Amino acid sequence: MSLQPFAPSEPLTLGVELELQLVDTRDYNLAPQAGDLLRETARHEGRWDIKPEITRSMIEIGTSIQREHAVLLAELRDMRNQLVRAARRLNIQVAGGGTHAFQHWHEQTIYPGERFAYLSELYGYLAKQFTVFGQHVHVGCPNGDDALWLLHALSRYVPHFIALSASSPFVQGHDTGFDSARLNSVFAFPLSGRAPFTTSWDEFGGYFDKMTATGVVQSMKDFYWDIRPKPEYGTIELRVCDTPLTVDHAAALACYLQSICRYLREERPFEPAEDDYLVYTFNRFQACRFGLDGEIVDPKTKHRHKIREDILRTLARVDEHALDLKALDGSQRIRDTLFEGNDASWLRRQRGRDAPLPAVVEAAAKRWVA
Amino acid sequence: MNFTDAAHYAASAAASAAASAADPASAAAASFSLSALLKAAPAIALEGLRGLDPVLGLALLVIAAVVAGELVHRWTRLPRSVGQMLAGALASPGALGLMSGPDLTPWSPLLDLAVGMLVFELGSRIRPRWLVDNPGLALQCAAEALLSGAAVTLVLYWLDAPPTSAALAGGVAIATSPMITMATVNEAQPRGQVTERLLLMSAVNSVLAVLALKAWRVLAAGGDFVGHGEWVSAAVNATYALCGSVLLGAAVGLLLAWLSRPLRNAQAVAVMQIAMVVLTSLLATGWGLAPLLTLLIAGLVVRDRLGHGLFVEPQLGTAGAALTVLLFLSLGLLFTLEGLGRLWPWVLGFLLARAVAKLVAVAAFARPSGLGWRQSLGLAIALQPAAPLAVLAGASTLGWPADVPAVHAGVVQAVLIGITLMQVTGPWWAQFGLQFVARETNRET
Repeated sequence: MSLQPFAPSEPLTLGVELELQLVDTRDYNLAPQAGDLLRETARHEGRWDIKPEITRSMIEIGTSIQREHAVLLAELRDMRNQLVRAARRLNIQVAGGGTHAFQHWHEQTIYPGERFAYLSELYGYLAKQFTVFGQHVHVGCPNGDDALWLLHALSRYVPHFIALSASSPFVQGHDTGFDSARLNSVFAFPLSGRAPFTTSWDEFGGYFDKMTATGVVQSMKDFYWDIRPKPEYGTIELRVCDTPLTVDHAAALACYLQSICRYLREERPFEPAEDDYLVYTFNRFQACRFGLDGEIVDPKTKHRHKIREDILRTLARVDEHALDLKALDGSQRIRDTLFEGNDASWLRRQRGRDAPLPAVVEAAAKRWVA
Repeated sequence: MNFTDAAHYAASAAASAAASAADPASAAAASFSLSALLKAAPAIALEGLRGLDPVLGLALLVIAAVVAGELVHRWTRLPRSVGQMLAGALASPGALGLMSGPDLTPWSPLLDLAVGMLVFELGSRIRPRWLVDNPGLALQCAAEALLSGAAVTLVLYWLDAPPTSAALAGGVAIATSPMITMATVNEAQPRGQVTERLLLMSAVNSVLAVLALKAWRVLAAGGDFVGHGEWVSAAVNATYALCGSVLLGAAVGLLLAWLSRPLRNAQAVAVMQIAMVVLTSLLATGWGLAPLLTLLIAGLVVRDRLGHGLFVEPQLGTAGAALTVLLFLSLGLLFTLEGLGRLWPWVLGFLLARAVAKLVAVAAFARPSGLGWRQSLGLAIALQPAAPLAVLAGASTLGWPADVPAVHAGVVQAVLIGITLMQVTGPWWAQFGLQFVARETNRET
């Protein structure tokens, strides 16, 4: 199977996907009721999409193609409201967050379907451990070459998105010390991490052919890269974000990405290089572990900065583009997060000294509705 | 024969065996007497068991029930409660006759406590607000209960049962056994929409059955066979019992929530809950209230007040689990199939009308309430286990309540047979509906 052609799409258009937790209203453990919620929302209003995820306690919602922050936010709020109404009828709640605080992976059941059965068979318990919840943001690109250039240029901003969206401090009933522990689950997959440094679609096609010839992959879906091209949509897809606790923050993150992409495309401040990836894993770890307080190394200058400061500087550089994209409200929300703390710190505050973890999940579910 | 007689027989057998070993000449005679003894052993053992003190006898039966439950579960994957009830049924007067209903009298406070704990646990697992959030579900609950009651009443009346007695059968048919529901859910640990609805509907239809039986008593008291003078008294009594149960349940729930807040130890919480269930059960019985309703309300209120902060161990811990075994054993002891050959049309009418009514009502409101067809079938099947009449009627023990107005003995016996059949098979129905039809246990499909 060869790589499909890259379908051109309007540059800088956005699509947001959110993987969400379904929780029981009694004990706030995960509720395996995705099938029920999908049935309840089958005739939803609006152009957004809802589909199952690998285990039965997860669903994924996706927006239609968007261009502006306000419209994107309105659609996300509409999705949230319809979902919450449907969930209430089923006596369950919907929550954001990159991990569920105390679920046990072995209690999860795989959602019926050929693809999920294949993944479960291939990855064994990793499939159930993949009961983690991420936000994926698609950015439209006019062609495959531009998509790959943008993909690699964005690599140095990956820690920003990890730290800003981090909302998975608790795993299997314990505080991991990480702000985003979700990415540790993703890292267990053999084809995770970063995409290979190829700068043209033809070159990438050659890499893909070699990989399919080995039998290791069958399609682009088998790559769990942090950023990956999505040729059938004509986009690149940023996959490192935890699902935030609110749709407002999800919209802000998407528009921050949109502003950076416009800045990179129009100003071309640097050319991506293979050596950018020398510090990639270190920076990524810092963002996962320490969130906004982490330190990253600039691959060009080799200087260290706090992630918080690097985001502030980037916001100043991209503000002009945010203005043109009508995304200033989103940028402001990102600035607020830098000072108020990310969702991981909010979740830790909910726990306080010794509050039970169900109280944390309940607070997260309430915040999702607010 | 009592326990000492049995010991005497055992000593004689041992002495006889020893003599045959010492003296070969008398071996043939001894062998004859030993083989005769072995042949007679089962009858002797049964006689011995029949003569035991009821408390000791039941304690031995509990051991047998635990073993039976485990063996049945291991060989057939059926819930353990099936084996425990079968052990009781085997010991009942209709089978080996080792014990009978009156032998349970010394144990009745523990049996009431076992019922109370399961009902309290059921109350603590449901959220009544769901009925407001999903009006289709509220209609499904109401339709399921009302249609079951009406269908059984009409079918038995059509089969020439007296109307008052048919109405009693209808009231009983409404309820799904909260005990079997909780025991099965605790054992199989299912999670999902059908499980949540089964818990809610068992609670709702049990409450409606209690209300129906209270109403039935008022109406029966107005009938010819009791006399008009008692109508007002029965109505006042029913109102007092219902309002009192709700008030007592709410008060206990609030008190338990207040007392539980400072507790951080799960064991201490469980002990506190058991103590409150004992207290509530005694107060409700002593004041002539409905224990089932009272404890259900107590569970609801404490859950509402504490939310996720309330931790209720399955069966309230190990002590509750032991009492649950005793409960299912006792249910088995009270099983009756007497007169089935004569009463089978009424029994069949009771069972079929109830089953079809629950299925039709659940399916009719499936889509409006957000349930799939397969799930509806699973739910209707899981709702089949019947509840003992005494629990619904608020009697203090599991025996036949003495204060029920006179009804047609044949109909009552037919209902008891119907309940027997839907109790002994009840855990299977619940497990089959949840596990194999609704697929809500932790098994990959």
